[in-house]
Amino acid sequence: MTLDAWSQLFADWRIFALGLGHTLFVAALALVFSTILGFVFGLLGVAPSGFLRALNRVYVEGIRNTPLLLQAFFLYYGLPRVHIVLPVLAVGVVSLSIYTGAFIAEVVRAGIQSVARGQLEAAYAQGFGFAAAMWHVVLPQAFRVILPPYTNQCVNLIKNTQILSLIAGADLVYQADTWSSETLLYGVAYVTVGALYLIITLPLATMARWLERRTGAALDIGRVA
Amino acid sequence: MLKRFGFFGMAAFAALAVFIGGVARAGANVIPDIKSRGTLNVGVKADVLAFGYKNPQTNQFEGYEIDIAHEIAKRLLGDPNKINFTIVTAKTRQAMLDSGELDVITATFTITDARKKVVDFSPPYYTSGIALLVLRDSGIKGLKDLNGKTIGFIKGADTAQRLADRAKDLGVTFDAAAFESYPEILAALEAGRVQAFSTDGSILRFYEMQDPKTVILPDRYSNEDYGAATKKGSDDLRDFVAGVITDMQKSGALKKLQQKWGIYRENQAH
Amino acid sequence: MTLRGFTVLFDPANLRFLWWGFEVTLQIAVWTIALSLAGGLVLGVARFAGENARGNPALRIVGILAGFYIELFRNLPMLLIMLAARFWSHLHPVPAAIAGMSLYTAAVMAEIVRAGLNGVGRSQWEASAAQGFTYLQTLRYVILPQGLRKVIPPLVGQFITVVKDTSYAWGLGVQEITGSGTIIFAKYLNPMETFTLIGLVYFVTNFSMALAARGLERRLARRTY
Repeated sequence: MTLDAWSQLFADWRIFALGLGHTLFVAALALVFSTILGFVFGLLGVAPSGFLRALNRVYVEGIRNTPLLLQAFFLYYGLPRVHIVLPVLAVGVVSLSIYTGAFIAEVVRAGIQSVARGQLEAAYAQGFGFAAAMWHVVLPQAFRVILPPYTNQCVNLIKNTQILSLIAGADLVYQADTWSSETLLYGVAYVTVGALYLIITLPLATMARWLERRTGAALDIGRVA
Repeated sequence: MLKRFGFFGMAAFAALAVFIGGVARAGANVIPDIKSRGTLNVGVKADVLAFGYKNPQTNQFEGYEIDIAHEIAKRLLGDPNKINFTIVTAKTRQAMLDSGELDVITATFTITDARKKVVDFSPPYYTSGIALLVLRDSGIKGLKDLNGKTIGFIKGADTAQRLADRAKDLGVTFDAAAFESYPEILAALEAGRVQAFSTDGSILRFYEMQDPKTVILPDRYSNEDYGAATKKGSDDLRDFVAGVITDMQKSGALKKLQQKWGIYRENQAH
Repeated sequence: MTLRGFTVLFDPANLRFLWWGFEVTLQIAVWTIALSLAGGLVLGVARFAGENARGNPALRIVGILAGFYIELFRNLPMLLIMLAARFWSHLHPVPAAIAGMSLYTAAVMAEIVRAGLNGVGRSQWEASAAQGFTYLQTLRYVILPQGLRKVIPPLVGQFITVVKDTSYAWGLGVQEITGSGTIIFAKYLNPMETFTLIGLVYFVTNFSMALAARGLERRLARRTY
């Protein structure tokens, strides 16, 4: 990592800025969609209907047991065969949302189930329907349990934008990879990109740990990515 | 307790060392090592018809660069078959040479000034040119038609920059998308994600053949001199390989091989 | 998706090609699981001990160092670490993939281990102290066995993640099963069929592991204290 290498890197700062922009853009959109998907399917997982719970299982187990990269390849190369050509960043958002949504669904389901069963039954006894019981009684309590592992999934999501690098998606890892293989200046590229990621992820990860300690969550489900 | 600390210190240092990488040993003589090992480790392509191609029927490597490698092995070790072929890609070949996994690379490696700083090249044994593969019914006839469009390249090659320089002269700009492998670029072309697939014309021939819906445009946008690459610092091997190539050039052996593989006329050096 | 698109995959030469890819996938996964589990145990215990050992400066420093490693590696994208292992250091492709994945996964495993250790009740410590166990003896004979048993699900979840993450080795030029799939589909123009088949392979492998873990958990739970 010579001084000359660093000056070359800084001369090309726009390339890395573009990568950072794409990463953040895809991560932000995927965060919104995966949260929505995750809550919807998580609720399905505790629904009274067996069919709805089965939907949850199929989605969660099917998505969580196959690689995100494979799912992204399926969307990127496969959909065009049926004439759906999504722009590469859209492929990133969609695949990341579906994948992370499955993990958030599990977090939500486990969180809800950790709130005493009695809460749901007591709410029913008061005349609440399932949806109302969820909204007014169970979810507010489950929220505290869900938040720490949910934050962990957010950090995973940001790191998982790395799949874009293998479908010509111009994210940060892609820029590190292509720039360094063209200039052969591997060290400066990886260190810089690594630092950029840490600037984003470390604060989030620290917040997750603080939340864990505050809510006294007995057992973190673990950063299963 | 200090034992634990020491362990961690060593572990941290080891991790650091892995990342800082090896220090190049300069000016070494590697030929004696190769001779005592008894085989020459050569990096070649497996998906470039007529240059470096792994025939799925025979599971053997065949091509112009394969034959050149055999000749180097024959002259160095007395037997053309004392050779060990490893598949390389544009992204991995540099690393494999530096680590010592490979002694020499004959894998459509273009000689450039930037690369000469980190690798030694023999004199060129072939000159290809950057070309464009497009879908037949796209109506694209040349670089001018690609203004504002996306072109697919492979990671690790500097094709994009060289093409961009030529494009600038024509007042054309394009988006570059880099992929892990050539088949993926072809798939991206078929999917409409890129409007052209660009690399050396010699490499594109295989993909044009694989997909009849594609065609290689006639223009060539730069001269790509292929040279045999050796690790910087293995001077004796560098000189030996250079000698073999120069000799084969002078004796007409290179020309005969090019004619054998049907690539003589495509050679831009004429 | 067509029938032909599927049947061509079952041509013996293609099946063999995909199987070789799967062998590479398993090879990388097994090595990574072994190395990261070992590393994660050491790091997790170190950080845990460092946080809980009052008045033992050496342990605290060890804990802090382990903490640095963990936070550094688990907050970076794994592919970036793998790329650095391949191109910045001079490891061969498969060892680089294993090294990169292990460096990352060890950090994640460490946190799972630490969560498990944290989940063991205070009373266990007190009871052991009353019996005359030293700190290390307590850790080794009382806390660790219980703590690890608690975190079998997230640990196996991480094993599953490792199997999926081997797909990133394609970015290092390693022909594991996903990368092999890209070569196949580009030849036969059947991306959806190819990736569905490969997805099935991953699913069967991972889901079996998940079921085995649940079985193991149930069997261990019968041995209550």
